[in-house]
This record gives sequence, C-alpha cells and structure tokens, in this order.
Amino acid sequence: MLTIGLTHYLIVAAVLFCTGLFTMITKRNAIGILIGVELVLNSANVNLVAFDRYLGSERMDGQIVALFAIVLAAAEAALAVGICINVYKNLATIDVDSASQLQG
Amino acid sequence: MPASNLLTQLLPELILLVGACGLLFLGATRLAASRSFLPFAGVLVLVAALVVTIRRGEPDGSFAAMGLWISSLTHYVRWVALSVGILILLVNWYLPVQEERGEFVALILLSLLGVLLTASANDWLVLFFAIELVSIPTYILIALSRLDQRAAEASVKYFFLGALSAAILAFGLSFLYGASGTTQIQHIAGGVISLTLPSTGELGSIAMIGFLFVLAGLAFKVAAVPFHVYAPDVYEGAAAPITGMLGFVPKLAGFVALIKLFAAIGWNLPIEIKWLVWILAAVTMTAGNVIALLQDNVKRMLAYSSIAHTGYMLVALLIGPVAGEGPMHDGVAALLFYIAVYGAMNLGAFAMIASFGRKHGELETLDDMNGIASQAPAVALALAICVFSLMGFPPTAGFIGKLYILTAAFSFSADHAFAQPLLVLAIVAVVNTVISAGYYLRIVAAAYVGKSSTPANPTGGFTLRWGLAVCSLAMLVLFVWPRGLAGQASRATAAIHDSVSAAHTVVRVDTDFGNAQVDRTSP
Repeated sequence: MLTIGLTHYLIVAAVLFCTGLFTMITKRNAIGILIGVELVLNSANVNLVAFDRYLGSERMDGQIVALFAIVLAAAEAALAVGICINVYKNLATIDVDSASQLQG
Repeated sequence: MPASNLLTQLLPELILLVGACGLLFLGATRLAASRSFLPFAGVLVLVAALVVTIRRGEPDGSFAAMGLWISSLTHYVRWVALSVGILILLVNWYLPVQEERGEFVALILLSLLGVLLTASANDWLVLFFAIELVSIPTYILIALSRLDQRAAEASVKYFFLGALSAAILAFGLSFLYGASGTTQIQHIAGGVISLTLPSTGELGSIAMIGFLFVLAGLAFKVAAVPFHVYAPDVYEGAAAPITGMLGFVPKLAGFVALIKLFAAIGWNLPIEIKWLVWILAAVTMTAGNVIALLQDNVKRMLAYSSIAHTGYMLVALLIGPVAGEGPMHDGVAALLFYIAVYGAMNLGAFAMIASFGRKHGELETLDDMNGIASQAPAVALALAICVFSLMGFPPTAGFIGKLYILTAAFSFSADHAFAQPLLVLAIVAVVNTVISAGYYLRIVAAAYVGKSSTPANPTGGFTLRWGLAVCSLAMLVLFVWPRGLAGQASRATAAIHDSVSAAHTVVRVDTDFGNAQVDRTSP
C-alpha cells in the first residue's frame, strides 16, 4: 500500500513547474503565456502547503504565504489582461511573435 | 512590540504610501489644474520621507517586529533610494501625457516604496512581496511612458519575463521554507537559521535547490546574464527618462535581496554557489561589454552597459563582508557604494538622451548624437561626466566605485581558499573596463567630434536639466570627497557583520518532519 508522502507533493509541484515553463516557451498567444506563469506560481503554492503540512508546524507560515501568493497571482492576472489590451490596441493582435520591432 | 512604535519606525514608508495614494486620487480627478502640480507634489512626498529618514539618523541597534528588521542597512537603502528617487522624478517631470501624470508619479513612488520595504524585510513573505511591489509598477510605467507600439511591446516582454522570475523566486523560497521550517530570514536575537544538514554542516539538498532558484529569480531583477535578455528590448522600447529608473530601482532591490539571502546563511557559501556566482559575474560583465561594442542604438548600448555594471557589482557581492573595514576591503560596503553611484550616473546618461529631440521623437542611434555639443555645450559636458563615470575614469565617482571593488578583491585574505579565483575575477573586471572604453568613448566622440547637417535640438524642461546637472555634479563631488558616502556604506554593513559573526550560533528549526522545535547548537 502506497502512502502519499512529502516527496509525492514535491514531484507534483515540480511537474507543474515544468509544465508551466514549457507552456510559456511554446505558446505564442499572450493569454497562453499568462496561463504558463500561473502554473509556475501555483507550483510554489503546492510546495508551500505540502511543506507546511509535513513540517507539522503550528504556525502555518507556509499556508499563509500560499494565500498571499494566490492574491498576488490574481493581481498579476489583472495587470496581464491590461497589458494585453494595450498590445491589442497597438498591434491588433495578442500573438507575441508579431511584437518584434525591438531587436538588435 | 507596541504597534505605535512600529508605525513610527515605518514613517518614511507610510509617507510614501499615503502620498502615492493621494496622487493616484488627484490624478483620477478631473482637475486639469492639479495635473501640472502632481510631479511637484511627488517630489514633496519624497523630500518629506527623506527628511524623516535623515532626521531619525541611523537606528541605534536594530528594531525588529512582524517580519521587519529596521537596521543600518535599511537606513542606507532608504536614503539612497529616496535621494535618487527625487532625481528620477525631476527627470520624468514632463514625461507621460498630462491625463496620466498622476498615475505615473504615484507608480514611481510605489516602486520606491517596494525598495524601502525590501531593505526592511526579515521574512521571505515580506521580501517577496516587496520585490513584487518594485516590479509591478515598472511594467505599467513602461506602457504609460509613451504611446507607441514599441512601448507596448517592451511592457509585454518585461511583464512576462518579470512574472516568470517572480514565480521562480516563489518556487525557490518555498524550498527555503521547507528546509528551515520558518519564513524568517534572520534570527533576530543573533545566529543564523539553520539550512544546513546537522551531520555534515553543508546545505541540505532541499535548501540547495531553493537557493539556486532564488538566485535565478533575483538574477532576473539585477539583469545578470543569462537572465538579461529582456533588458535591451525593454530599455529601447521605454521612453528615455523612465529607462534611467528601470536600470536602477529593480537592481537596487535585487542586490539588497541578494545580500539578505547570502547573510541568511552567514555568508558561508558552499563552494558550488561561489563558483556559480563567479561564472555569473565573469560572463555578465564580459557579455555586457562585448555586445555593447556592436550596438548602434545608444539606448541598447546603455542597456548592455547596465548589464556589465551588474557584473562588477556581483564581484563585490562575491567578496562578501569583511568586518571592521571600509569599502576598500569590505565587499558589501563597496557594493553599496557602487550601486548608489551607479544609480546617479546611469540616470544622468539616460537624462541626456531625453534632453535632445529630433523631428520624430527622441535620440536613437549614435549618428543622431553627432554634433550635440555645439547645440548645448552644458548638457554635453554633463553627458561626458556621466559617461566617463560609467567607464570608471577619473575624476569621477565611477572611478572610486571601481577602485573600491578592485582593492577589496585584491586585498582578500590570501590564505583563503577562494582568494586565487577572486584575483582572476578582478583581472577580468579590469580587462572589461578597458573593453568598455571602446563604446563609451564612441558616445562622447559622437557628441563632441561628430558632424551633422541636422543636429538634434535641445528639448525638455528645466527640471530635466536640473536632474542631469545634479547627477553629474554628484559624480565630481563624490570623486573629491568619497569618504562621506563610503563611511555611510561601511556603517550600513554593521547589521550584516553582526549576523555573519553570529553565524557560529545556529538556530535550528527542526526539520525532522512532524517534530518542529527550536534549539541552539554549535557546529
């Protein structure tokens, strides 16, 4: 019988992290990239909560940090949508490959 | 700790916060008359916060409560950030369209507030959010700074890479939490929170993973190679005055956070981390300077120059604290001195770009700079001073800054195992300074020797000129009399020395999962 331990949560978090990074690299749509960023950020949350649970600490620092990080992710998503709208107004697309004036 | 005491300790931060909220509100109202007054109000807020900081003076001892630790480092970072912040506002006085000036000034203030909080943070949670508070306003500032496609592109690039770096930082911090069992950075009563394995005294594997991810996340903020890719595009896309801020404010926050990260383990860096930072420093300065040689666009050139300066500062970081010595020997003091000087000279160089205009917007290429000395001799002189300072050429403060870092590297105790590699790194830095002359001199030559039938015209208001004048004067004054700033910088490291010398007491938060307790052990 397999018991779920800390390592399993850390593996889930690592997979989430890599998925997020892969999404950021492969997606060309700005919203797709945002989803990748959110995945990476949430991998940190999984870690924090898992460590908190298995440290057996009574202070619950990790869970509080995770709550804060969720709020940060929401704020960042709002900002991302604002920036995407700004890009759309200028370029009439949110495909990041079309934003290529700055090179050198 | 009584709450009123905490509030008085945080008075400069509170002034910034209230001021920024007030400006945000004023900017949103439809009072057209108030808008021209907004940058002035912003400067007033910064001056008030600076006066409060200086009047209070260095804290005797340190004050700690609720994830904050107000120490001598906090005091130094506060007044440096606020002083350069005033110059940043002067340079950005007329920048965005009038309708958005309130938001623009408020965002600059919020970003500076983030730097101040980074310097006070003693909890990974506070540190992480303070760094986010530095970064998030900058994404918006770029998009607001000018209304064209390139600014939009720069902001989207900066945002996504910045958000990724924040996520990587959070991922790393979660591992540091897992290794130490607490989000506290330093144990206030003295001693270092243990991240080391009890048996070997080395960083455990979980702590090592966390350390590497945090290092990567912060390397984004300070624009170290290979996390620098956004910098040239972002600097080119944003308007010149705000670029002077982008090169300094996130870098200051990043280096303060790096100092805190290294101090958290008593500067007792594992040899792998030392070599990693060594390679990071060597590659950052070399790549920055060599690629800058190939640029024709002045802003891209200065962007690569700012990457190269990150490399010099990483050298100082690697030397680390040496107790009881000034910046001639103490790497951290040299770093703090250098970054203050760098803030002013970098801002001056970008302010110069902003103070000339062509028919279609601001200066872009080196050819656009031809003959500007004949158009505005005073501005060209200020440019020359700032560029010579960036190059590290006397009689400017940039020379003193480099001198401190190099002497600290050369005087690093010879019996130490890492003295030899540091010596090599210092030589790499000297070679790089020579390489950098190749492109810095092109800027000065274009201004003074270059000929153009249609030279760029001086533009910009008198506040921009004043900002530029103060930046270049500061470079000369700090060359003649560097001891004031150097003394401040070496006193600022007192808090770091205390925690490093207390490193023999290790506060162990037991990570035998399920059995948390705090006890003191001596390795």
